[in-house]
Amino acid sequence: MSEYVIEMNHIRKEFPGIVANDDITLQLKKGEIHALLGENGAGKSTLMSVLFGLYQPEAGEIKKDGQVVKINNPNDATALGIGMVHQHFKLIEVFTVLDNIILGAETTGALGFLKKKEAREKVIALSEKYGLKVDVDAKVEDITVGMQQRVEILKMLYRDNDILIFDEPTAVLTPQEIDELMEIMRGFAKEGKSILFITHKLNEIMAVSDRVTVLRKGKYVGTVNTKDTNKQELSNMMVGRPVQLEIHKKPATPGETILKVEGLTVPSKIHKNNAVNNVSFEVHAGEILCIAGIDGNGQTELVYGLTGLEKASAGKITLLGQDISNASIRKRALTGMSHIPEDRHKHGLVLGYTLEQNMVLQKYREPRFQNHGFIKFDEVRKYSEKLIKDFDVRSGQGPITIARSMSGGNQQKAIIARELDRDEPLLVAVQPTRGLDVGAIEHIHAQIVNERDQGHAVLLVSLELEEVMGLSDRILVIYEGEIVGEVDPKKTTPEELGLYMSGAKRQKELGKEAE
Amino acid sequence: MPRLEPGTGKTKWYRSDGAVAVYSALISILIGMAVGAIIVVVVGLLKSNISPAGIWEGIRLVFLGVFSTGRSGSALSFGFNGVNLGNMLFRATPLIMTGLSVAVAFKTGLFNIGAAGQFLMGTMGTLSVGLWMGWAGVHPFIAWICAFLTGVILGGLWGAIPGLFKAFLNINEVITCIMTNWIAANLVTWWFDSHEIFKNSAEGGKVGYIIPLKNVGVVTPKMLMDVLFKGSQANGGFWIAIIIAIAMWIMMTKTTFGYELRACGSNRHAAKYAGINDKKNIILSMAIAGCLAAAGASLYYLSGNTEFYWSTYQKLPAEGFNGIPVALLAANHPIGVIFSGIFMSMLNISGIQLKYLTAYNEYISDIIIAVIVYLSAFSMLFKTVLSKKLRKGTGGNVNAEPEPVKTEEAVPTEDAEPVPELKTFDEEVREDYKELMGESAEKVQTESEEGGEI
Repeated sequence: MSEYVIEMNHIRKEFPGIVANDDITLQLKKGEIHALLGENGAGKSTLMSVLFGLYQPEAGEIKKDGQVVKINNPNDATALGIGMVHQHFKLIEVFTVLDNIILGAETTGALGFLKKKEAREKVIALSEKYGLKVDVDAKVEDITVGMQQRVEILKMLYRDNDILIFDEPTAVLTPQEIDELMEIMRGFAKEGKSILFITHKLNEIMAVSDRVTVLRKGKYVGTVNTKDTNKQELSNMMVGRPVQLEIHKKPATPGETILKVEGLTVPSKIHKNNAVNNVSFEVHAGEILCIAGIDGNGQTELVYGLTGLEKASAGKITLLGQDISNASIRKRALTGMSHIPEDRHKHGLVLGYTLEQNMVLQKYREPRFQNHGFIKFDEVRKYSEKLIKDFDVRSGQGPITIARSMSGGNQQKAIIARELDRDEPLLVAVQPTRGLDVGAIEHIHAQIVNERDQGHAVLLVSLELEEVMGLSDRILVIYEGEIVGEVDPKKTTPEELGLYMSGAKRQKELGKEAE
Repeated sequence: MPRLEPGTGKTKWYRSDGAVAVYSALISILIGMAVGAIIVVVVGLLKSNISPAGIWEGIRLVFLGVFSTGRSGSALSFGFNGVNLGNMLFRATPLIMTGLSVAVAFKTGLFNIGAAGQFLMGTMGTLSVGLWMGWAGVHPFIAWICAFLTGVILGGLWGAIPGLFKAFLNINEVITCIMTNWIAANLVTWWFDSHEIFKNSAEGGKVGYIIPLKNVGVVTPKMLMDVLFKGSQANGGFWIAIIIAIAMWIMMTKTTFGYELRACGSNRHAAKYAGINDKKNIILSMAIAGCLAAAGASLYYLSGNTEFYWSTYQKLPAEGFNGIPVALLAANHPIGVIFSGIFMSMLNISGIQLKYLTAYNEYISDIIIAVIVYLSAFSMLFKTVLSKKLRKGTGGNVNAEPEPVKTEEAVPTEDAEPVPELKTFDEEVREDYKELMGESAEKVQTESEEGGEI
């Protein structure tokens, strides 16, 4: 019997013109939690796809319990007991939890009828055994993201998998939910199941994993025992140079009020209640105000209401002394607001346009870029080349690259370049670092702080607690569309924030003020 | 993505996106013609009155019908046929216009299936105003302008209706277009039915036709077409269509207005985010599409060769729907529409030649058009395959990334990511498919994606 349940030895996977995995070795011990760390594009996904049978490696071997195996497709992987929780859940929203769990592994009786009762008992037994609370009869579209993830985990357990791959599992969870997940993972490990944990969050690795394998640019950097290392060392391994994990910024010097929001109310598109209910706050020049909260508590609608993407049903918005409550999107932007949107594919970019066309998405109307309605293409080219250079946006063909073909990080950089270059007094930044890796995050954080230091007001909406704590000068916590607390990041703890975010704690006087 | 030539940083013209679009359209056309030839052979073998020599004649006419000069002796003769070529351009005119109508709307993300109705409204406006002004003794040139503009404006207003529904109530434009088509058909029928003066009762034996505009002298000038193609129906309307196509191309690609329209079409949300009035652009785009389709009708009925059968409530004009394949074949490029429109009309001429010169009937050309339409839906697929082939051919350096700006320190971000691995949204979806359904799903996904483009 081998020491390792899974060994991937000297895996090499090439794509036309590039080596995605170059001689990568990954050994997973039985009963361990093994983290796989690397930036976007380091080859984590490719390696896992090889293990899951989606890609065939050009070189190298995969061993299960010391025996060389050939994994041709995901079915082979499942037969070997390998299961995976994907970053984006693979659930059918209109099916019940139970139906989703048994999908593809249904037990049937005579004539192909489903034996749901047995399946149900098995699922309930599993959920009790591992403390995975789910409502088996609820439809997936009605349950929380945390519960959806538990459904995904139950799917693996239902198939009797004992090698569990978690792909960025904490991206969508609250601090409390993350703790719960960590506990569940430890329970699995104790049971003798082996866990591969793909992430780029160092805190979680330190908290839960036994060993860490680091990849960088398709190459194997090394495997270390978690207890023998620290966050700084890991991030240096991952990025290949010393990284500043802490955000360094001078104390804020708030100036005059830039944005004043009074009693803003935005109706919800999903339910009858207001998504944003009677919210009031002010953002001053030279400060970063952060709206913290669990996803879906009205942050999106709050920003829509502010920027004009959706109509507010009540409230007053004053920007630089001008009432913009009913102004058009363009009017608001011209008054002095730039906006890094939450969803870069939906709002941020016209994906079918070239990079240079995207760079002038608001500016194309300025006399600088047009003459009697005809676009000055050479000016657009010059301007976008400048932005590309200043903000180090990488793409295959420079200004004429189609935005769709760029990597997520560079798409985000392009948006940030465009919005920061507009140089407006107010920057609304919604999850500006979503889905990006350490190096890019460091860069973007520095630019946001720089924006503040130039005397601009920054309204930051973020779901990442670390970002909230590190970047902001003042934190407002939003829960079910209402501001439930205002805290000073220097004086609070993630735990306290978590209590506000989950609605367990509330500052009374804040509610009164808003009345 | 076109391949970058090492060194120059430019794409060779024959590898450019445009060239690939042309290749894929040509593939569709060739396969369509080949299928047509096969049908000619099969029909020839099945029918007793067609000899093997007749089959060969049929095949030659399918490909070269427009150059047919009839028969000399018993054999088919080919050569320059001014009448056929001129008629081809004449018939191409309304097709180019409705093709432009569909293409422009499509660039704004709208599927204008209402060109038939807009065409009818244009017909009504042009004929009514043209005849009325002709009778009133207005100068023919002014009457021509007024008739043309009335038709265009009516069509534009008609096209704006689905646009309004789409913009304010988010009702799918396909549904409202189909409904407005039939409303237009009934409206036009009612209009001419209730106005006896427009009916052509003067020329004996004609029932249900409207008096042609040539009777009042309101006719498009020939603009040299009679010199080039003597004896044909061709007239200056073709030149006007070409000018409009070029104007549309300039509008879509060179102006801020076109930039807004295409932004709305490509991503309505992002356009809105950027402060572009998406509602206004949707309505305008449909109105322009309506104007273009109606202009096709105006040019067609101002030609002096055509008569309008007014009882249209049972049948919509084919020009409206043929605009869709014309636009598809041209990959919605305004200049490409000129060529695909001419090509479609060439097939039409071939069909007529088949009918007159052989024992075949003209419907063979309809089958060829049908096959090409079908295949033009696949032209995106051909495009993808061709782009890949062209790139592979030279083992290219697809990842021709610009030289890193900073060479001192290793660049931190994910830029090291290999370009083929960059997951665009579509690829991500495709990969998700793969994960769910195994490798075989990739092919399915590619195809369904093409379908979605229509």
